[in-house]
Amino acid sequence: MNSVIGQSVPRRDLTGKLTGDAKYAADVQLPGMLAGKILRSPHAHATVVAVDTSAASELPGVYAIVTPFDVPDGNIAPDVPILDTEVRFVGDEVAAVAAEDEFIAQHALELIQVEYAQLPFVTDPRAAIEPGAPPVHAGGNLVGGEPIILERGNVEEGFAEADIILEDSFSTPAHSGAALEPRVAVASWDGDDLTVWKSSRGVHQDQLLLSLALGMPRDSVRVIGGAMGAGYGNKDETRLSVITAVLAQRAGRPVKIETTREEEIVAGRHRHGTFTTLKMGVKSDGTVTAVHAETIMDTGAYLSSGPGVVRRAGQGALYLYRCPNVRYDGYLTYTNTPSGGSYRALGAPQGHFALELIADRAAKAAGMDPVEFRLKNHVGPEGQPGERTTPANEIIDTQPLEGGIPFSSNGLRECIERGAEAFGWSDYSPSSEENLKRGKGMAILIYRGGPGGRSIARMRFEQDGTFTMISGVMDVGEGSSTVLPQIAAEALGVDYDQVAETLGDSAITPDSPITAGSTVTFSAGLAVKQAAEDLRSRLLSSASDVLDLPQSDLELDTSGIVSQSGRGLSFADLAERTGSVEVEASVSPGSTDFIVNSFGAHFAEVEVDTDTGAVRVLRYVAAHDSGRILNPRLAVNQVEGGVSQMLGFTLTEQMLTDPAHGATLNASFLEHKSPTILEYPDIEVIFADVIDPIGPYGAKALGEPPSVGVAPAVVNAIRDATSVEVLDLPATPDRILNLLAELEDGDA
Amino acid sequence: MGYAEVTPYTLDITLEVNGQSHDLEVDTRWTLLHVLRGELGLTGAKRGCDRGECGACTVLLDDLPVNACMTLVATISGRRVRTVEGLSSLGSLHPVQQAFLDNDGGQCGFCTPGFVMSTTSLLEKNSSPSDDEIRSALAGNICRCNAYGRIIESVRSARRAE
Amino acid sequence: MKPFQVLRPTTLDAATDALSGSGIDASILAGGTDILGEVKEGTASPAALVDITGLQGLSEIQISQKDGASIGSLVALAQIETDLGIQEHYPALSQSAASVATPQIRNVGTLGGNLCQRPRCWYYRSPLFNCLKKGGDTCYAVQGLNKYHAIFGGDGCHIVHPSDTAVALTALNASIETFGDRGLRQTDISQFFVGPETNILSETALAPGEIVTRVVLPPAAGARSIYLKAKERQAYDFALVSVAASVTVEDSTITGARLALGGVAPVPYALPEVAAAMVGTPVSDVSPRDLGQLAVRDARPMTDNTYKMRLSSNLVARAVATLLK
Repeated sequence: MNSVIGQSVPRRDLTGKLTGDAKYAADVQLPGMLAGKILRSPHAHATVVAVDTSAASELPGVYAIVTPFDVPDGNIAPDVPILDTEVRFVGDEVAAVAAEDEFIAQHALELIQVEYAQLPFVTDPRAAIEPGAPPVHAGGNLVGGEPIILERGNVEEGFAEADIILEDSFSTPAHSGAALEPRVAVASWDGDDLTVWKSSRGVHQDQLLLSLALGMPRDSVRVIGGAMGAGYGNKDETRLSVITAVLAQRAGRPVKIETTREEEIVAGRHRHGTFTTLKMGVKSDGTVTAVHAETIMDTGAYLSSGPGVVRRAGQGALYLYRCPNVRYDGYLTYTNTPSGGSYRALGAPQGHFALELIADRAAKAAGMDPVEFRLKNHVGPEGQPGERTTPANEIIDTQPLEGGIPFSSNGLRECIERGAEAFGWSDYSPSSEENLKRGKGMAILIYRGGPGGRSIARMRFEQDGTFTMISGVMDVGEGSSTVLPQIAAEALGVDYDQVAETLGDSAITPDSPITAGSTVTFSAGLAVKQAAEDLRSRLLSSASDVLDLPQSDLELDTSGIVSQSGRGLSFADLAERTGSVEVEASVSPGSTDFIVNSFGAHFAEVEVDTDTGAVRVLRYVAAHDSGRILNPRLAVNQVEGGVSQMLGFTLTEQMLTDPAHGATLNASFLEHKSPTILEYPDIEVIFADVIDPIGPYGAKALGEPPSVGVAPAVVNAIRDATSVEVLDLPATPDRILNLLAELEDGDA
Repeated sequence: MGYAEVTPYTLDITLEVNGQSHDLEVDTRWTLLHVLRGELGLTGAKRGCDRGECGACTVLLDDLPVNACMTLVATISGRRVRTVEGLSSLGSLHPVQQAFLDNDGGQCGFCTPGFVMSTTSLLEKNSSPSDDEIRSALAGNICRCNAYGRIIESVRSARRAE
Repeated sequence: MKPFQVLRPTTLDAATDALSGSGIDASILAGGTDILGEVKEGTASPAALVDITGLQGLSEIQISQKDGASIGSLVALAQIETDLGIQEHYPALSQSAASVATPQIRNVGTLGGNLCQRPRCWYYRSPLFNCLKKGGDTCYAVQGLNKYHAIFGGDGCHIVHPSDTAVALTALNASIETFGDRGLRQTDISQFFVGPETNILSETALAPGEIVTRVVLPPAAGARSIYLKAKERQAYDFALVSVAASVTVEDSTITGARLALGGVAPVPYALPEVAAAMVGTPVSDVSPRDLGQLAVRDARPMTDNTYKMRLSSNLVARAVATLLK
């Protein structure tokens, strides 16, 4: 039999998406269902003094209203009650209505009278941690009261050894992943049991959070994910579904809330804006002696996943270059702006932007080519110098600080070399015209991912002799509904088409972690592989009894059970004897000996129109070590998509806040400018020939790493083309033109 | 502000959707997208922005791609609408759909029906579009997964298949 | 969205009557791509939408060497973009139409609607800001974020006019034919658009109930024209700055020139001084860079939009250089 692994089998859930049959949360229709709408704060910071709903509740067609004064006790997160009498950003939830249709619900919102007492507010994270800044939450704006400081060795000693020190400050904007599907929740009660359909990255986590918020037994809550119009790591918070559930309970009828595009951008979760200062010391031969990064990260009004994200912003500075003396100071700050959260690669793009611009400067200062500098200094398979501090036999964190631990696999050098070759780096000679300047740039990257939380999967041999893979993960568009059955088929020894899949429904799937952190293929994949191997053994054992042949003589293949003697059993015949057989496997992925990380090297050619400041990316090479590639066509799609998506972060996207009022001014696809097909460059994807010893069939994390290298590769290319260096993203025409003007003034 | 008048206005219209004629009493505020999704149960067209800015609701109105979210249904009585549900028949995919499946022309799928309709219209008018013509014709459809590379490949493949 | 009537008149008289005669607050709906957005946002809340797409005779393009062009207001932008006659004689108009929004919008958006669309200022479009243009007393862009705002003529209100075709038509010396209570009239395009100093609540000189019926263009008479648009994204983006230029050259000397900038002022911003500097000049003596500088001599940028001076200047220079090549 041919291996299923490494085959570009078709994306399993795409057919329904192409015909319109796929059901997203917004497509759910229930008898008697009402439409919900949320009233949002017009103020950046205020106390809700009183809410008068009398006129709204008298409006014909209004069935339920919920306000902070009548909401059940309960929390979505430690800093987020179901509804609060203090609102902390323009767009924060204040109240909600369920009515016969959306028009009536909207009308009812306009009839709700809210008395606000405005409070001082702060929108700049640097100002937020100055003494006297208005507190967004009691306890101050610096989360945890102090920065997280991660240090290996001693940076002061490292800088003392350096011949050259490079330092500068950088900023990256808040930008929304702006998933095309705005958040939707549908809630329906049957007695004390609640069913919720929602756009979800993890139905089991949502089930848990809903049950905690509503004070219900977990088993009384069912969350159904269905098709998911993407999340890129977010759609994690459950406030929308909890509010929907409260409305449905009060109305005694199912309720659906479809948020608007503006609500999705403002009240969803975006990539955190950052301010980073980065300092690197190198010897005159180009050896890196010290790296020190300091990042102020804006978590907005609520914490969400901020603590994890701020830590990850430091991984590049701490681990990408082989260096004994490194330090990262991370400040996570509240402001009265929309909340940051988990968005594809979680802080790594922000950190790598600063690091890889400085690395280019260091290369230049040492008289080296950028590629040569990376080849000399990148972290190798042996990991960082230093002593392991994680106790032996303990699973090693995927973002360790300590040295002395090798990687399970590390194809970074191969990525750099093969990427540079494919790009034509060393013999690149741009053909610039007077106003169209071309240049090249590159960046390298490291990313944690792969091992996630404990993962459970089930495999079932059905009564009709077919197979079903059952996992609690969600396919948010990344392809787990295709890749996990591939793994199951491979482990069983059958064809891909012989394994059906069940995903995304908390009632009928085992507990699973969320689809985030590039962990699904790795972690859920290991559980699926284990379950499939266990099922295969069980079936061979049963067949051995039925056929009265030793198990060692039997094989399982696409036709059923076969033996060397020629006697065998079809799956249908076997199933008649065994009935349905289900096995469950639980794994805690990770390694006690190795760090499991993914790597990459990105190369870009850009053309800058110096008349207009417009940047076009002409050509892009993305070389990745994500271990063995299980489905090449889906993997290429992921990498291409990740690169193109982050061209938005690099060149056009940003959430803009009015400084005087605090409102987000551009929460639309028109003004929060995501790339279109016209911006899409020629992208070549290369995978290093790496087979990881830990991951399922050698795979490692792939979903997020492509996002990490884009901004520095493109901005380094802009500098190569024009001599101006964009330190503040996005690199919009106004910024390029202003920098060109400064350059001319400097020359004059 | 306030509502001087809260009673909706309604109109009777006819609409041909995927070859089938419908007589409908519509609220004047209803968009074509609302009618397709809410009244006719055709949920292939998606609501991504409700402002004509993303193309997820693209359908063909008298063979031209339009944003269903920005089309008041009261103004298109008697006209002909095609949606993604009308492409495949008897379980077999339309060549454009097949090309998208074969070339992995989507990820989360939320934009996919819109891209399929824009592509269908393009190939009906021009059976061998250049790459630039493909890009221009799809410029009003946003794919946030940015699966544009595979989408372009899908349309190239459909171009050959047609 | 508050309930509204949809009226579908079939004659101009009935349309005008529906708009102004009935005493109810009514707005015109053609392609709907702008007004419907305003209604959804609550920036506009008309009691009736008057669908004029059933009016006869407003959907034709007529072009002749001798008489110039007449383009009905209901002609879709996609038709203008692809019409061979317009491409040949008035390329600036064709290019401007092609630069609008997306294919889906150009399929339904009309020329009349493109000229009459409301501004895209984010303070104007947000229900959170009761700005001057909505009858308030503050232009929030002055103290706020104004990267997309005006560098010319921002007296009080600093919007920029959003229409691409209006800029091209300004350089092409168009007239706008309208129908209203007093019948048909033609207005020079320079008088059709009005700034906030004239009428803060409207961007055009249309009287209540008046409908744009046709755009009339003088014969191209050998003039070459071009439309260049700088934007942040290739599809669905309004101009950071755009320029339209129309130039006639006879015997290697410029005998006629008209230029206009978009994205810089509350109206399409004509550049008569640049044109005057060009007319009568031998082509070999023209300095596009100097003309570009001249174009922005009177600019008064705000905090975030100084770049528009450089951009305007460069685009004017590029347009002139391209036309004279």
